[in-house]
Amino acid sequence: MRLRTKLTLFNAISKLVIVVLFVLLVPVLIKNISSNYVDSKLIKQKNKLLQIVKSHGIETYIENGEPYGSYLPLKEEFISLDEVDPNYFLDTIKLGKRLFSEGDTLEYRILSHTFKVKNKNYLLEIGKSVDTLDETSIPLQNIAFQVLLGMILLTILADQFYSNYVLKPLRLIIKTKLVGQKFPNFNAYKKVRTTTTDFEYLDISIHKMVETIADKFQKEREFISNASHELMTPISILQSKIENMFEEEDISDDLKVRLIEMQKILNRLKSITKTLLLISQIENEQFLKEDKVPVTELLQDVYDEISIRLQDKNISYSIDIPENWNMVNINKFLLFNLFFNLINNAIKYNNEGGYIQITGTAGHNNFIISIADNGIGIDAEAIPFIFNRFKKFRQSLQQDSFGLGLPIVKSIATFHDIDIEVISDKGAGSTFKLIFPTTLIVAN
Amino acid sequence: MNVLIIEDERALAQELEIFLTNYNYICDVCFNGTSASEKIAVNLYDFILIDLGLPDYDGLDLLREAKKVDSEAACIILTARAEINDRIKGLDLGADDYLPKPFSLLELQSRMQAIIRRKFGVKNNTIELGDFLIDLTNRTISHSNSVVNTITKKEFDLIAYLILHKNRTLTRMQLSEHIWGSVVNNDYDSNYIDAHIKNIRKKLNAFGSPDWLETVRGLGYKIKINA
Repeated sequence: MRLRTKLTLFNAISKLVIVVLFVLLVPVLIKNISSNYVDSKLIKQKNKLLQIVKSHGIETYIENGEPYGSYLPLKEEFISLDEVDPNYFLDTIKLGKRLFSEGDTLEYRILSHTFKVKNKNYLLEIGKSVDTLDETSIPLQNIAFQVLLGMILLTILADQFYSNYVLKPLRLIIKTKLVGQKFPNFNAYKKVRTTTTDFEYLDISIHKMVETIADKFQKEREFISNASHELMTPISILQSKIENMFEEEDISDDLKVRLIEMQKILNRLKSITKTLLLISQIENEQFLKEDKVPVTELLQDVYDEISIRLQDKNISYSIDIPENWNMVNINKFLLFNLFFNLINNAIKYNNEGGYIQITGTAGHNNFIISIADNGIGIDAEAIPFIFNRFKKFRQSLQQDSFGLGLPIVKSIATFHDIDIEVISDKGAGSTFKLIFPTTLIVAN
Repeated sequence: MNVLIIEDERALAQELEIFLTNYNYICDVCFNGTSASEKIAVNLYDFILIDLGLPDYDGLDLLREAKKVDSEAACIILTARAEINDRIKGLDLGADDYLPKPFSLLELQSRMQAIIRRKFGVKNNTIELGDFLIDLTNRTISHSNSVVNTITKKEFDLIAYLILHKNRTLTRMQLSEHIWGSVVNNDYDSNYIDAHIKNIRKKLNAFGSPDWLETVRGLGYKIKINA
């Protein structure tokens, strides 16, 4: 889930929880508030009544010991005043029920207060109906819920907009600095505009890391390139010396055989160095991709070079590729070497009398050339590593090789944006699928 | 033929001199660009072998000078740099060939021969071997007026290379370097030369015995031509 979605979702849920809690609390709060309000009103009424009693005397209400009582027509309020036992004392406000002569029992908030006038004890009760309180709380609850819900929606929208805005630099960093970066060819550094220091820091840190990696990569490439170049001259001297010695008339055949052994070893050194140099030249993009050649023609060239090896092992060889497939924007020398190495491997790791099939199939938006053999195959767990330099997995075979054939293939393929898929069954053969983008092959 | 060898690696220059002297070239050797520049200005050479990586001189400048003084001299660039740009630049400036180090001395000799043939317009370059006639210009082999048309390009390359270095044993390595030199190869075995030779013999045997193509046991192959 994206960060922005997470933030918005969290905001929305937390707000919703708070609002629901609040709405649930509303009745309690309202009850509290209104009972406070009612209480203060009751006290005011009590004070007023006591004021009247004080100035006009208790006779205003009570004559001849008759109790006083009064209520509004709908009985929302009532006042009663009566003489009680002198030792009776009360000063409370609480809920209580009162029975009326008509037989109604109603619930009231009742203020009870005893006071003494002329050695007589009186009890004053002022009541206010509670029903009126409950009635107000439900619509209030509704309104509160609606208003708050609306506010939540508004803030969610605002959150969405804001997080979108504030996270934009992060999205940009991910998009331009991480996704779509082709390792190790990084794009030039372009500062992501942001006022958030964290993002600024992230951007700079990523940039620094990328720079370090690119620098190390560059150094490694330079090293390989320089080392192989520097090795060429001593190899050249040795080769010339051996060749000249071989020509000396006064050396025995036995010595000549040993010179040939030396030549073989030197050749090995030469091949490794040349191959490393080639890989580093490809990785440094020192080759142009401007050639155009029919696929079948290139494969014919490879066949001309390699046919002797096929014959030697009695391997049958078939090519099924449309005549009209042309490779464009490629380097012919490199593509030749790519096919040469793959087909050479197919021969090397094949059995006497085996076969090699090269087929071309047009995919949705690509062209696939697969090279299939029925040779010894590759262990499933070895497949991810076969393109690593100097890895030799099929050592059981008495073959001279130094494990740079497939790394060359990989470098050339990467340089051209060709994907390679390897399918292999141990003992049953291997298939190398080369997936060409439509920019490299045209059928016409 | 006069050859000027410009190579700062003394050991290599020395081997080049020994080899070319054996092939009857007259050699001058320079270990740096300054003395080479003087020699180019004073003497006339048929061949100038220039190492591009000189300590005191840009080899390409030397090539420019050489072409200015004597445009007839054939220049071959030797370099360990093997950069494609150098190659293009060198050939643009009029170099006749380009050999990346490490190269086989035999390969150098074969390139020089090719330049000689080109320069002097050798039309008729036919060699008689037993009952076979080998035409190096048109690249054909014939036997008493019938052409051996089964010989492949690679097989002819092998024969031509052996003829160029006649009476000399060429190792399998030297032969495979010549015919597969351009392939950057994962393996370094040269056993396929035997298969090629076997094929050549089989094809020629249909016409007559190619006994001039000798196997030198344990060493390689050679073609004997009695001058």
